Amino acid sequence: MTFGLRRSVVVTAVVAVAIATVIAVFTWAGTPVTAKTFLNATYIGLTLGALWAMYATGLVVVYTTTGVFNFAQGAIGVFGAFFYWELQMNRGWHPILALFVVVFLFAPLLGICLDVLVMRRLRTAPLVVQLMVTVGMMVFLISLVGTIWNANTPRWVNAFFKDSGGIDLGPAQLTWHRFIVFVTAVVVAVILRFLLYKTRIGTAMRAVVDNRELAALNGARPNMVSSLAWAIGSMLGALGGILIASELEFNPSNLNDIVIIAFAAAAFGALRNLPLAVVGALLLGLLRQHTETWLNFGTNFSKAHLGIAPLLLFAVVVALPQARLEVGRVVSNLRRRERYTNWWEGLIGCGALMLCAVMFSGGWLNFGIWDPEAWGGPALNSANAAMALALIGLSLVPLIGWAGQVNFAPLAFAGFGAFVYLKLAGDTGNGYWIPLVGLICAPLGALVALPAARLRGLYLALMSMAFAQGMALIFFPHEWVIPRIGVGRQFSHIELFGITFDDRRGYFLLMMSVFVIGVYGLVLLRNSRYGRRWMAMHGSQAAAATVGIPVVQTKVVVYAVSASLAGMAGVFWATVAGNLSAGQDFDLLNGFQIVLLIAAAGVSIPMAGIFLVFTPLFTGLSHRLEDTGNVGFLVEILDQLVVLGPGLLAIGMVFNPRGAIFEMGRGFSPILPWRSDARAEIAAENAQKREPEIGELGLERPFTPEEVIAIDRRLGILDEVVPKEGYGAARS
Amino acid sequence: MSDETATPLLELLGIRAGYGTIDVLHGVDLRVMPGQVYALLGPNGAGKTTTLGVASGQIQPHAGSVLLDGHEVNGVSPDRLARAGVCLIPEGRGIFPNLSVAENLRMSTYAGVSYKQVQERAFAQFPRLQERRNQMAGTLSGGEQQMLAMSRALSTDPAILMLDELSMGLAPIIVEELYEQVASLAEAGLSILIVEQFAQAVLGVANEAAIMLHGRIQRTGPPAEIAEELTAAYLGMS
Repeated sequence: MTFGLRRSVVVTAVVAVAIATVIAVFTWAGTPVTAKTFLNATYIGLTLGALWAMYATGLVVVYTTTGVFNFAQGAIGVFGAFFYWELQMNRGWHPILALFVVVFLFAPLLGICLDVLVMRRLRTAPLVVQLMVTVGMMVFLISLVGTIWNANTPRWVNAFFKDSGGIDLGPAQLTWHRFIVFVTAVVVAVILRFLLYKTRIGTAMRAVVDNRELAALNGARPNMVSSLAWAIGSMLGALGGILIASELEFNPSNLNDIVIIAFAAAAFGALRNLPLAVVGALLLGLLRQHTETWLNFGTNFSKAHLGIAPLLLFAVVVALPQARLEVGRVVSNLRRRERYTNWWEGLIGCGALMLCAVMFSGGWLNFGIWDPEAWGGPALNSANAAMALALIGLSLVPLIGWAGQVNFAPLAFAGFGAFVYLKLAGDTGNGYWIPLVGLICAPLGALVALPAARLRGLYLALMSMAFAQGMALIFFPHEWVIPRIGVGRQFSHIELFGITFDDRRGYFLLMMSVFVIGVYGLVLLRNSRYGRRWMAMHGSQAAAATVGIPVVQTKVVVYAVSASLAGMAGVFWATVAGNLSAGQDFDLLNGFQIVLLIAAAGVSIPMAGIFLVFTPLFTGLSHRLEDTGNVGFLVEILDQLVVLGPGLLAIGMVFNPRGAIFEMGRGFSPILPWRSDARAEIAAENAQKREPEIGELGLERPFTPEEVIAIDRRLGILDEVVPKEGYGAARS
Repeated sequence: MSDETATPLLELLGIRAGYGTIDVLHGVDLRVMPGQVYALLGPNGAGKTTTLGVASGQIQPHAGSVLLDGHEVNGVSPDRLARAGVCLIPEGRGIFPNLSVAENLRMSTYAGVSYKQVQERAFAQFPRLQERRNQMAGTLSGGEQQMLAMSRALSTDPAILMLDELSMGLAPIIVEELYEQVASLAEAGLSILIVEQFAQAVLGVANEAAIMLHGRIQRTGPPAEIAEELTAAYLGMS
């Protein structure tokens, strides 16, 4: 560490403390500070901190031993907590038995399954796929919990020993539950530290992430070692989930959101240092509880104390030295040459899409699902909502797909766009303001890009996540930003070219037109000199810099473009819904869903956004099936697909990292008359399926009938002469 | 030294192997007798490293057999082979950069020797490693890293040692030092299979040598004879 860096750290710390003091002075709630209140807040803060420490140690263990940053850590906790609830509260098992079954039987099993089925395959995957799959796992587990146990039913879990008081420490009391939590967290951290650094299996766990092949050459069993790591991580997740369940409101997304605090704590220890992660978690717990006790941010910032964790995550990630960030590897898979859609192909594609949209909305192309009158029905609301999400998704294509900048905050940008539009157009719904919204959103993107300029990969993803969460907790809930109104529309129907788009069909067509224009614009951009810069930067920042591409400036521009697209899309998003609720619409999971669906569809392809429209198609289908009656199980299956689909699709990226649209395109393009290159590629692939070299046949083992045929072919012996069924069959 | 009637310690028979659909080895036959030092030479891309990959279980051959002391070991995982006494020091510093020197040594204990013994032997051979035992292995110099990698061979009593491009990217004086270690291992009777691109250092130690070109072993013979043909082979005149 150089002196310069230290000084900057000191300056940052001083500034942060000064700001915190100013905030504290202005927001002092006036609660009398007594030893009792102070100790109470401290005990609760330490308990919360200990719980986050458990999550954070799970994250750190899995990250240091497998190289995968497990976004699903919190979701495993949620699953564990609900399973515990089922056994203990619902079925009346003894708490210790239930705890044992969940933490020591179910959780390790879950971890091992995760490793064997999914995570092991991520080892050589590009970082974007790694992120999407673990985030997909998180979304999947959360939605699975919601499916198994109805998420809206109020539930609670009893604290351990809740009837037997607690320990009197000073004037305040520490309940047994909290005492256990604190002790468990510390013991777990100490044991894990010992395991990782003082035992051979722990050394092997860290060795495997360094160099898996070499670990095997040493005689360690790499697969067993990584399964063990996942089992431990999963156990810690489940234990944390069960212990935290009685401290917080018991619902899936609430229990999952706390994982971001664990991320902040883990980042505190540079994702690898267990003691620092624990200290970070405890500090965060104290900070949060004490701000909640002593400060009052007013109704407009009622969730601000929850925003401390994302803000700190943001700060820590940005301030961390960026030496060892590489997760995922540069994969040297023999990638096929990527072919870019050229201008007239784009035109044909966009035209075809528009035609489909017109036919669809007119009821001529209804997939047997909708009758034209359905446009009046609620089923189509979801089609429009999905179309708006597709527009937001489009903004991710240049950013994630081309420039390789992972961004989990599309909804923050979109929401900002909606906010700008609300301030500009008021309740007039004047659509001419939309381009200006795009212009105003661009600087926000550029602002986010500045800290992003030195971040890469995982840290960039964490930063964008912290940004999204910070905006959702601090900015959007403010009364002035998005005023809460009782009933009616907050965002009026858009008026453009003298038309008020207040019917669903017209609005669908308007959004489709915007989408098509956006797609075509991106196609042109990608083929341009400037667009190639982005992809060059994705390939290798160092190489891009050496050929003279200004990397930072290029990044800023791509963020600005993406933010401005997302901002404009946000206008449609808000006007479709009519109202935005800071509590629900900006939930982290919603943002993840968009990113996941786009990624699963193929994030480097502009058309991928249209994939999002398939969700309402399923919804529509199940509504339609309900009408016909007697197919309850089908309706059930479809509903489950809609709920579980996004997560499953993202997990599917393990097997198909380039996305569904890409594979569809590969299957489809040889049909197009002008795509002789696609046909040639398929032919070359078939040829490559290892035809044996004639000279070597028969030397090492007898000919097989197939090989005889292959020789005949090679020698040009006519097909008529060669028996169709092969020589082998003829001989036998 | 080699006895033609004895069972070869390592034998590759008609190995065809490669990556994905592309074959790199087109029928490799190779035999390392007990106590033999076998030098496998050849230019870049000849398939030498792939051969070691097959012999150590990292790469499954498409055809042919791998025999270890007469037993077929096709499909046996590399970690099992390692525990059974196959010791491959891979190309480019076979160390864990984010583990300390001592922890790197600890990883050698999977081969069935005690931690204490590994440390004693490694530090006796390379005192410099003892000075840096708590340092991250990735921060060692190139030569020190190769010493650390070699210490696994020295401390675990392997049945067969395979060395991949031991000399790559190292100063000549360090290469000399490392080959002295190899020579003393050979004297102690260890069977060694060495892969090298440049032959000078290795031919002094080996008692059998082979030239590999385009995925085939072109010629086998005493090191002195092979040395003469090497230049021609590299320039594609064989």
